[in-house]
Parts: sequence; C-alpha cells; structure tokens
Amino acid sequence: MSATLRPYLSAVRQTLTAALCLENFSSQVVERHNKPEVEVKSSKELLLTPVVISRNEKEKVLIEGSVNSLRISIAVKQADEIEKILCHKFMRFMMMRAENFVILRRKPVAGYDISFLVTNFHTEQMYKHKIVDFIIQFMEEIDKEISEMKLAVNSRARISAEEFLKRF
Amino acid sequence: MSKNTADNKFRKIDVDQYNEDNYQDEVADDGQDMGPNEQEVSSFLSQGKNLEALQAVLSNPPVETKNQAAKDRALQLVMRVLLSFKVADIDKGVNALDSQTLDVLMKYIYRGFENPSEGSSAQLLTWHEKSFKKGGLGCIVRVLTDRKMV
Amino acid sequence: MATPYSFGIVPIGCHAFNKARNEVAISPNNAEVHIYKQVSGRWEKMHVLEGHGQRVTSLDWAPESNRIVSCGVDRNAYVWTFTDGKWKPTLVILRINRAATCVRWSPQENKFAVGSGARVISVCYFEKENDWWVSKHIKKPIRSTVTSLDWHPNNILLAAGSTDFKARVFSGWIKECEAKPQETPWGKKMPLGNLMVEFSNAPGGGGGWVHSVGFSPSGDKLAWVGHDSSVSVVSVHNKDVVTNVKTTFLPFLSLIWATENSIVVAGHDCCPVLYSTDDQGKLAFVSKLDIPQEKEGGTLSAMKRFQTLDKKATTDDASSDLKTKHQNSITQLSVYSGSREQVTKFASSGVDGQIVVWDFKSLESAIAGLRIA
Repeated sequence: MSATLRPYLSAVRQTLTAALCLENFSSQVVERHNKPEVEVKSSKELLLTPVVISRNEKEKVLIEGSVNSLRISIAVKQADEIEKILCHKFMRFMMMRAENFVILRRKPVAGYDISFLVTNFHTEQMYKHKIVDFIIQFMEEIDKEISEMKLAVNSRARISAEEFLKRF
Repeated sequence: MSKNTADNKFRKIDVDQYNEDNYQDEVADDGQDMGPNEQEVSSFLSQGKNLEALQAVLSNPPVETKNQAAKDRALQLVMRVLLSFKVADIDKGVNALDSQTLDVLMKYIYRGFENPSEGSSAQLLTWHEKSFKKGGLGCIVRVLTDRKMV
Repeated sequence: MATPYSFGIVPIGCHAFNKARNEVAISPNNAEVHIYKQVSGRWEKMHVLEGHGQRVTSLDWAPESNRIVSCGVDRNAYVWTFTDGKWKPTLVILRINRAATCVRWSPQENKFAVGSGARVISVCYFEKENDWWVSKHIKKPIRSTVTSLDWHPNNILLAAGSTDFKARVFSGWIKECEAKPQETPWGKKMPLGNLMVEFSNAPGGGGGWVHSVGFSPSGDKLAWVGHDSSVSVVSVHNKDVVTNVKTTFLPFLSLIWATENSIVVAGHDCCPVLYSTDDQGKLAFVSKLDIPQEKEGGTLSAMKRFQTLDKKATTDDASSDLKTKHQNSITQLSVYSGSREQVTKFASSGVDGQIVVWDFKSLESAIAGLRIA
C-alpha cells in the first residue's frame, strides 16, 4: 500500500461519517413527496457545501451532502489506455446491476467514474459505520481489481500472440 | 387548436424559483475583509517563522466578500504556508490554533484538495489527519454546513 | 444507570409519555401510532391509532387532559381522546400544504402549535361552536421548514427552530381563547405571530439547520442545537449575546433542560451529552452521559452464540455494534420523571428502535465529577 493511500482513505472515511448525518425530511417543494435533496437541488438551504478529497490529480472523491441524502462520486486511477477501457467496462457492468448494490447510483456524476447515493432510508436500515466501511472497502479494492484485470488481459494477449506466431 | 400546443418548452420552466417565500442567502456586505496580509505572511515565511505565518494567514479569512479573485489569492497564500511546513512540524502548527481558527484551516484544506498540484495532496492529507485529531468530526461538519466559503 | 427498552427494529421517529409514565405513544416510522403500557416491567402494545395517511412525524401527550396530538407527512394533525376504552381522533383544520413536522401542546393544554414544511406554524385552538380544532398561521419571516417548537411556561410565547438557520421567538397569543397577556422581557407587542427575537444559529450567519429549541424551566433562557454541531444559549436579560459552543461531536438533534442551569443534548453521536449554563448565559461542556462499559472478555456463552447466529447469521463475536446504548441516531429526548425545574430521569428514543431511560442519580454516582445543578 503506497504512502498516501491510508491517509487518503481515512480522510474520506471521516468526511463521510460527518456528512452521513441524515434525517427523514419531506420535500418542501412537492406536496406529500420525499425526494433526495442532493439530487433534486430544489431548496438550496437544505444542501451542504460539496467537498473534494484528492490523492493526486487523477484520484479524487466528491462528497455532496444534504439534509436527507448524500452523494459520493469516485474518480478511479487510470494510468493508461487499457486501464481506462477496463475501468469504463467494469463500472458499466456494476451500474447496470445497481439495484443489487443498494446504494449505487445508475449514472456517475460528470467528471467521475462511479457514484453512490445514500439516503436516510439506508442509514435507518443499516449501521452507518458499515455503509462507510463498504464504500472505503470498495475504494480499496477497485484499484486492486483493475490492476489484476490488466495483468490478466496482458498475459492473455501474450499467450495469444505466442500461439499465433508459432505458425510462422 | 392554437399553434403553440406543440411547444413544450414551458414545461421546463422552474416555477418554484419564483416562490417569494424561498430561502434567500443573506447578502454579504462586500469589500470589508480582503484576506490576510500578504506581505506580513511572506516576511514570516522568509524568516522561517512558520507558526507565526500560519496564525497570520488564517487570522482574516475573506469569507464575507464575493470577490472570487481575493479568495483565490488567499487560498494561494495559505497553500504556500501549509506546504512550507515540514511533516514533523504539522502537529505543532495545529496545536497552536484555537478551535475557531482550526475550522478556518479545515475549510482551506478542503479548498486545497479541489486543485491538486504535484505533491500538495499528500501534504494536505497529513494536515487533514492532524486537524481531525484535534477538531473531531464537528470540525468537518462545520466545513460542510458553513455557507460562507473561503 | 440507563435502562434500554426495545420496540423492534424500526426507527422510532418520535415518542411521548403519559403523565404517570406507564404508557408511551410511539410512531414506528409509518402512518400508525402505537401505544404501549408497562406491565410488570415489560412494554405491551395496547392500542394502534390509525388515522394518518402517511408517516407520523411528531407526537405530544398532554399530561393533565390526557389527550394525544399527532401530526404527519399527510399534512394532517389529529387530537386523540380516550373514551370508553378507545382512542378517538378529531381532525384539526391545519390549512397547510406540506408535511407537518412537529407538534407541541401549550403548558395549559388549551392550544397547540404545529410546524410544517409549508414554512408556517399553525397555532390551533378548540372552537366550541363547530366542535373542531381550528388554526391560525404564523408565516413571516420563516423561510424554510420548521423543525422544532417549544412553548414558554407562560403559555403565550413560542420558540421555533427551522432549516433557514434561525431560532425565533413568536407570540402565540390566541385572543379567542385567552385573556390579553402581560408584557414579557422577550418582547412587548403581543398579537399572534409577532416576532419577538430572531437568532442566527452560527454567529455571522454561517449555516447549520436548527434541529431543536427549548426554553429553560423559568423561561428566561432559550437554547438550541444546530447542524454545525453547536449548542447555543441566550438569556433574556442579555439578548444581544448568544453563547455558541462548537463541539467536536456529530450534530445534535434534540435537547431538553434538566434544570435551570443544565441542558442535555443528543443526536447523531448516539450519546447524550450534558452542558451547563449560568445566569450570564455562559455555556460549558460537562460530560458525556453514556460511558461504555468494558466488555467482559472470555468465552462466548452458548446463549450468546445462538443469539448472534440468529441475528447476524454468524457466530463471530467481533461485533459491529456501537459501544453506546443507542445503536443509531437519537431522535428525541423527553423528561421521564421529576419536575420541569428538576428532572431526575429522562428518556431518549432512537432510529435503532430503542427507548432508553436515563437516571441522573445513578449517572452521578457512576461518572466521577458529574453534578447536575
């Protein structure tokens, strides 16, 4: 684990804990409705200041809070073309199955690779620190996952190339 | 039928914004605080008095003004001070601040994250860690809730 | 020290005890109100009050007249009276078009106030001719959802906190049902809705929704808690000076006055905290009231083993439980026993479906240096 990963993740963890103070809050714009304020943005006084935490130019998270919901968007490290393609495909794969991930958003916020939307209903059903743990673990594993996939793609390419070149 | 029926642009108009009961941000009286004294801070830095420079740069944050250039200038200055600290001295710097100044520092740390430059994030992460140790979660909550940005 | 009672796993959005404290009304995060009675140490469900169309947001139980008032997201409020072994609802004409968020009986129980997301407070009183509850509105200058209300002991003044970062004191005088009130130090003009004073949550208008407001037992001090993790107090004799303490904890959601000089606050940190004030309006941190017990180590008992297996589908003892009594945010605090001037026990309800009763006397002996004065 590189030197800045641990403080990066702990800064994200603390900011998430602070921002995940949600309550059940009915919309004051639409009658008898309850909407995640961070998505509809209809009452500016109910939004918190969005904050960014960055590890370097490429890796950063955006945390947007509101009275009843929170949105966290993650920009994953992409060093080269292969990683970019892999990341894009992998995120797409997960977001198509967003309902199985409960807090995953179907579309990422512009400029980021993947977004989560946590509402007060999630914090009522689940331990708050467990939700935070889940997001942190996701951030930890996603880098590992992508570099593993990159290795797998490279070695497969090498084997195919070898097999192909044997013929000559 | 009127020929306007095909027009559906009117559906996109956000009528709620015209509700006069809506919350209005308090109008800040402009121009009062133009940020920290640049010369003072620079002279502290050149003498190697990092602690004094930190105190000085956080003493008068330009929160009231709407002038974005002034805010950016203040941010540049704060970043210069924060990055000139040695990692071992950061603890000392944080401990010298009272809770109000610590809240200001935390705001600058998050502002600094928005425009990362070479190596700045690593240093800011250390600042964040130390400030959190002193100010607790409340310190971060106040960055989120405060509507007056640095 | 603290006695927890569990009411299932659904969040308790609000609760209210009756006068004898042997019955409690809770809303299990839906349109119903459940009334539990304490029978030999256990809480047994006696009644289910059905009337609301959507989630019930707030409850209050008038101790003397034994009436419950409830309000909900469906924009309605009901006054429930107990006749012939049943709770009967009376509809209240609130005239609001957004969710009602909080409701409080006035100390003399002749009227109550309902705060709402329609940026109004409805002050409701009973109209004999028509046999229903009607309301009058306090509108200006509220700019966002009203989150909390508290009546002054004089039955006239009304404090309100809202998400536009302000705590305000209004006159809640209804000339139809009470005599003209005396002037108070908070303000002189008494028509309904007259704004007596207005305080920003953070000095300089920084931000932070006001989650809860409360008058001290004498009515001379007003306290509120905000989403910027702060606690504020102001004294009527020194209205220009607001004491604002910024804490290192997560934001608080609820507060009660334990005595004239001490405040208990609780919220997202799942732990009640005690603050003390003096007559000048100073405010100081005293202590956390939930000191976690050291876990006894050793082997897992068979009972515990099967319990965790049942609850979490694992026998792993590395539990994910929080160390505090409450396992999720505390939504409401209320006085459990003692007078308003000298609270001896208080209750807290939380999103984890628990109500915990805290005893000051045993807290004082358990926490070194804790004095409630």
